[in-house]
Amino acid sequence: MEVNLVAEGLKFMMLGMGIVFLFLTLMIFSMNVMSKIIHRYFPEPQAAESGKSAPAAADKLKKVAAIAAAIHHHNTK
Amino acid sequence: MRTLFIKLLLALSLFGAVSASASDAHGAHEAPAVEQKAYESQSIGHLLANFAKSTGVYAILFPNPDEMSALGKPMSDFHKGWGRVIMILVAFVLFYLAIAKGFEPLLLLPIGFGGLLSNIPVADIAGPHGFLGVIYQAGLANELFPIIIFMGVGAMTDFGPLLSNPKTALLGGAAQFGIFGTLVGAVALSQYTDLFDFTLQQASAISIIGGADGPTSIYIATKLAPELLGAIAVASYSYMALVPIIQPPIMKALTNAKERKIKMTTLRHVSRMEKLIFPIMVLVLAILVLPDSTPLIGAFAFGNFLKESGVVERLSDTLQNALINIVTIFLGLGVGSKLAADQFLVADTLAILALGLVAFSVGTAAGVIMAKIMNLFPGTKINPLIGSAGVSAVPMAARVSNKVGMEYDRNNMLLMHAMGPNVAGVIGSAVAAGVMISIFA
Repeated sequence: MEVNLVAEGLKFMMLGMGIVFLFLTLMIFSMNVMSKIIHRYFPEPQAAESGKSAPAAADKLKKVAAIAAAIHHHNTK
Repeated sequence: MRTLFIKLLLALSLFGAVSASASDAHGAHEAPAVEQKAYESQSIGHLLANFAKSTGVYAILFPNPDEMSALGKPMSDFHKGWGRVIMILVAFVLFYLAIAKGFEPLLLLPIGFGGLLSNIPVADIAGPHGFLGVIYQAGLANELFPIIIFMGVGAMTDFGPLLSNPKTALLGGAAQFGIFGTLVGAVALSQYTDLFDFTLQQASAISIIGGADGPTSIYIATKLAPELLGAIAVASYSYMALVPIIQPPIMKALTNAKERKIKMTTLRHVSRMEKLIFPIMVLVLAILVLPDSTPLIGAFAFGNFLKESGVVERLSDTLQNALINIVTIFLGLGVGSKLAADQFLVADTLAILALGLVAFSVGTAAGVIMAKIMNLFPGTKINPLIGSAGVSAVPMAARVSNKVGMEYDRNNMLLMHAMGPNVAGVIGSAVAAGVMISIFA
């Protein structure tokens, strides 16, 4: 019996691409769920991150204020 | 203290006596080795004539009619004689590409040298008792070496960019269309034309080149079509080396200037815990959906888990350096043993090189088109240039995305964004390989 190779190939394609996308979609879904869970129950690294960046931002604001004051002082002199 | 010493001495002497008697018994049973042929006196003329017949020149000019190929099959006189000379020249072309052009030298040099050695007449280095044949049997015939390479690749991979923007994984899936599209094309050409005649297994093994994943290609080829291994491996690694030449024209043809300038938002921070759980999560999914893919994904997850655990620096370092280097040498030489003239100098090789190029190009195009399709939906836009990184040549494909992006906007850094689809492409091609294994199992 002759097997129609092209028909078989098309079936492989549908199965293969279907499984690849099914797998990756499940993976994306699981990644999102995982990161939500981790951010809710194990938030330490995130807190450390914001803790680091907050003083830097505050420093910057202080600098901007100082410069603005200096310019203002200079202009009004 | 003294009694302990005496006891120890006694135990040692007992052990010695036992082992001595054991070796005696062993020696007594040992039969004499292969009987040596008695040497007969020969005239100097006779000796010279015999020596002349054992030279390489003689073997190439007057092929031995009894000589069999490494697979134990009869060979044509062409393959025994001039075919070998041609293959040795092919090996030199591979050296040139690796050394002068810098194409995947880590693999093309061992493969080329293996090809050179396997085409030497008389010595039969690629045969079952030659050292290349032994290497092939030890790690390629049973698919061991590609698996170990996958562990090393896992230990080198950072899933941070993918975890911070998960939906780019779909681009890595789309690029696998190169594999299945080419499969259909190859069987259609086999069925409706007389150009070549591939079985479904052979067509599958060839089309996996489209995944742009060297170890996976070798893994599938040894499983489904070991007779095509040499050509498939050479095609696969050549095209991976040619990523910077093959991909940009396709990427530019499928996008317009506005799309190429799309800026992508900065990636969020990914916690260590996420990176640590990710390999386990992928493995669990593979177990649930497609256990046939777990040899590849399991090895990959193992390597990545060791790296992200952060407590086995030495093991992770060995996987990333010493082990992967050792196995790369053996993998290259073992693949080279399949470059024997009788297996490589056949019309099919040209077809494999052509189909591999098609597979690779279709995969690149599918990734770009998938990004454009995703941009039709609401949500943050994706720069379609990162779609081409869905083929799993890590990190070369991502670098190409970055380079093409910079040509149009010097401030548009796409490298990290392209790493997401790139590593998803590795997983995607392992899944595609698993589907093929499950079909033919």
